Amino acid sequence: MVKFLRYLQYEVFLLPILIIYTLFTIVPLIRSFELSLTDFNGYSTDYHFVGLKNYIKLFSDDAIVSGILFTLTFALCSTALITVMAIPLAILLDQNFFTKHIHRALFFFPSIPSGLLLAFIWGFILSPVASGVFNTILREVFGLGAQPWLSDPLLAKLSTIIVAVWAQTGWHAVLYLAFLQSIPKDYFEAAAIDGASRLQQIRYITLPLLAPAMTVSVMLLLTGGLKVFEIPFALTKGGPGFETHTITQVIVLRGISETQFGLASAMSVVFFLIVLVIACFQVTMMQKREERIQ
Amino acid sequence: MTGSLKRSWILDILMLPVGIVMFFPFYLIIVNTFKSEHEAISRPMSLPGEWVFDNYKQVFEQTPILQSFSNSLILTVCSVLVMVLIGAMAAYPVVFNPNRLNRLVTLYLLAGFMIPFQTTLIPLFQLMTDMQLVNKLYGLILLYLGGAVFVFFLMMGYMRTIPKDLSEAAIIDGCSIWGIFWRIILPLLKPITVTSIIFQAMWIWNDFLAPLLFLSSRSNATLVLEIYKAKGEFTVNWPMFMTMTVITLVPIFIFFILMQKQIVKGIVGGAVKG
Repeated sequence: MVKFLRYLQYEVFLLPILIIYTLFTIVPLIRSFELSLTDFNGYSTDYHFVGLKNYIKLFSDDAIVSGILFTLTFALCSTALITVMAIPLAILLDQNFFTKHIHRALFFFPSIPSGLLLAFIWGFILSPVASGVFNTILREVFGLGAQPWLSDPLLAKLSTIIVAVWAQTGWHAVLYLAFLQSIPKDYFEAAAIDGASRLQQIRYITLPLLAPAMTVSVMLLLTGGLKVFEIPFALTKGGPGFETHTITQVIVLRGISETQFGLASAMSVVFFLIVLVIACFQVTMMQKREERIQ
Repeated sequence: MTGSLKRSWILDILMLPVGIVMFFPFYLIIVNTFKSEHEAISRPMSLPGEWVFDNYKQVFEQTPILQSFSNSLILTVCSVLVMVLIGAMAAYPVVFNPNRLNRLVTLYLLAGFMIPFQTTLIPLFQLMTDMQLVNKLYGLILLYLGGAVFVFFLMMGYMRTIPKDLSEAAIIDGCSIWGIFWRIILPLLKPITVTSIIFQAMWIWNDFLAPLLFLSSRSNATLVLEIYKAKGEFTVNWPMFMTMTVITLVPIFIFFILMQKQIVKGIVGGAVKG
């Protein structure tokens, strides 16, 4: 009896989180699946089961299709670019030079403020008018004409990705840097004695030992990239047309603004599956890679 | 790395242009806060020809920036404190009284990592409307508490390093389970509590989507939401907008300078466990 009472006392500690988590995460998740099979419009209580109709409708809706495509493009391109730049940056920031602390802080700082703020600042820089900052630089330094950075379909996509790369590369470089600093110095000394050049040391010691960091960094970048909302929203509002629409923006637009709850829920469910599949696939693949090269 | 003990100027020179590119956007907004509207458009990159300080005065006069600052502060502080508490509470039985039920609960909670906020958004919107929690700061606080799952995860990892004898000795001495948590375990959690607070505070302070959907009135707006609303108002008045941005960035910059080491430590700790 005493034992049972003690057991109960322990379990009480779990109650607050279980209530909050169930109410605000699990119930809504199940409800999303449920709503996605109905024609619920947010107001009328009289709604019907419509089967997979909403899911079929997803693929005939231009805003949604381009939202999915751009979100995938953004997630893949920003992940690839940031990874390719963050690793060399980390190696550089690991060297001993006079301004290294200033540079570390400079690269890291953009990951602290809200992405919305940063994207608004870049909106001023990339302003498509001829007097825009970037266009002025192009004209006066390179003698090029004004480019419609945020209103041309391709350039708008490129601009959002550039801003994301600018904002996040430093954060991921710091992650790699921490792993770099945990590599014992003896490895490099031994390699140097054996006659390995600096580049060979990076290729055969540094990069393989960074594999675990890479798994984590790429996972965070991919899942974060799929959830992207603020940067394109602040920079282009999803335009021109639906070119830089994101999945999140689609859910807000079709669901909350237009109260097509069924359709938006179907989008939510598809999104959930996309994130789940990509994250699981990536982590399994990269863990296999870790085992292979170590 | 080897051979790097001697400092060289070469990297300083090589990194300089990259550093300038990184810093350029910040230079641009700071410099334009001291210009007139006309000058900001015609000569955006140069230093102000004539230094204007009026923008700062006007932002404080014309926008509810102090109100939104205090809203953000209330929202962040309350959410983070409660979140850390219930996260730590949940980790306690899982680590100190392991049994089959607690293992199931752990799996159930960790599943939360795979559920994007966006997927629950439509039903959450309905739920918040039904419970009349829309446009109320405490409604949003309640919503953010779901983030306790991440705290739980961090706490669980850290608590495993606390020796079990500690709580067993206290039980023999007649200390209650409740007492052990408050008097022995909680004070030992300080380092991971700091990490949790930094991560969750940055998330909530910077969040845009939830305030956009769940706080409609201007008087309840968070700082980030207020920036968004101001952007709509000042469409052409860039100096005003930039001044507001700079004012918002000041506390963030101070936080960054004070916390840089802790943030980096947190990233590393979180990444290694993740």
